[in-house]
Amino acid sequence: MSKFTDIQIDPAIVKRAARGDAKAHEIIYRAFSAPVYSVCLRFTRVPAQAEDLLQDTYIEVIRSISGFRGEAPLGMWIRRIAISKALMFLRSAWHSRGQSLDDDWEEMTFESRASPTHSARQDQAMDLDAALASLPEISRVVVWLHDVEGFTHKEIAEQMGKTESFSKSQLSRAYQRLRPMLDAEIEHADAKSGMQESVLGSC
Amino acid sequence: MTMNQSDERKDDKMNIGLSVSQRDVLQTRLRELRDTTPPREVWQKIEAQARAEGLFQARYFETVKWLAGTGIAAAVVLAVLNIPVTPMIDGGQREFSGTPSIAEVDNSGPANLNALMVRSQQIERDLRALPGQPRMVRASTAATIVHLEDQIAAIDYRLNHPAYRLTPVDAEIYWRERVRLMNSLLNLRTAQAQRMAF
Repeated sequence: MSKFTDIQIDPAIVKRAARGDAKAHEIIYRAFSAPVYSVCLRFTRVPAQAEDLLQDTYIEVIRSISGFRGEAPLGMWIRRIAISKALMFLRSAWHSRGQSLDDDWEEMTFESRASPTHSARQDQAMDLDAALASLPEISRVVVWLHDVEGFTHKEIAEQMGKTESFSKSQLSRAYQRLRPMLDAEIEHADAKSGMQESVLGSC
Repeated sequence: MTMNQSDERKDDKMNIGLSVSQRDVLQTRLRELRDTTPPREVWQKIEAQARAEGLFQARYFETVKWLAGTGIAAAVVLAVLNIPVTPMIDGGQREFSGTPSIAEVDNSGPANLNALMVRSQQIERDLRALPGQPRMVRASTAATIVHLEDQIAAIDYRLNHPAYRLTPVDAEIYWRERVRLMNSLLNLRTAQAQRMAF
């Protein structure tokens, strides 16, 4: 799970927020604004859009918090609102561009599909954020939902209004793209531990 | 987690197309990615929108008004009937927080209590007559207003709640403090309205 679940808010603050107390809302906002903004930014890659989504998310939190029963952590509840808002925005953007959810990979250029050279792998290993950014929008969202937020393919399919196979196929293609970078990372870690062992052995 | 959810997660792991170590690296690195802090003005926009839609004030003032109304009723009953009650709660522990100083109640008496209630009602009327809050409010002003409203609501709670069986003298202490806070709120809101006019 993401950082949303690590943030704890005093139930008294949540109660005050449910009464419409602006100060309590500001406290909750300050606690969750960075994770919400980061998710929106990773989905859209456009800061202005991420700011709008953060605003929409928090306005929804203010409107609905009186109905929050505390059965799940507050962070999970806020995360659900944020992801739902971000996906709604992306669906609408895809729709307005006339883009099908299935042809996202077709838009990629040959260059961007090319496998990285070994020398480039070391640099890539250090920049997962850039690698994520290079994925098509839909795949990036699927990777994030699956590997950070812990959604199942069924949950992703429901959120995106598609089938589970669609989610699996997007994830598989994204992994193909990320695999060289992950291998480079593993090679790098293995080489480092091998060196440490040989240094220890010579002592 | 139900059996179905557990099966779904197992199924997900079998369909990933990555080795265990690749998947571990991916998930670890993804979770290590740093969060980005949004620009400061986003909260100001949210606050302005929430106030414009009445999401903060509406509910809060409804509570304050309700408590104020019942507080007035309770205090009037106490004052008119002059019920001999003690301010002791739960085994005699007097439970005050932010109690006004004794120096503020030198001129205590039923006439004073009535005057304070009338004055309080008058300030409430004046507050209602002011235009709504502007869309953009200075953060410090907004914080002060919320703080005053919190204190007024706390006093109204004391005046209203049956557990706090206040004597007329205690009631007068609270009513005096209520008037003082309402006055501060009125001054602040008036200044705000004047700024809006320019």
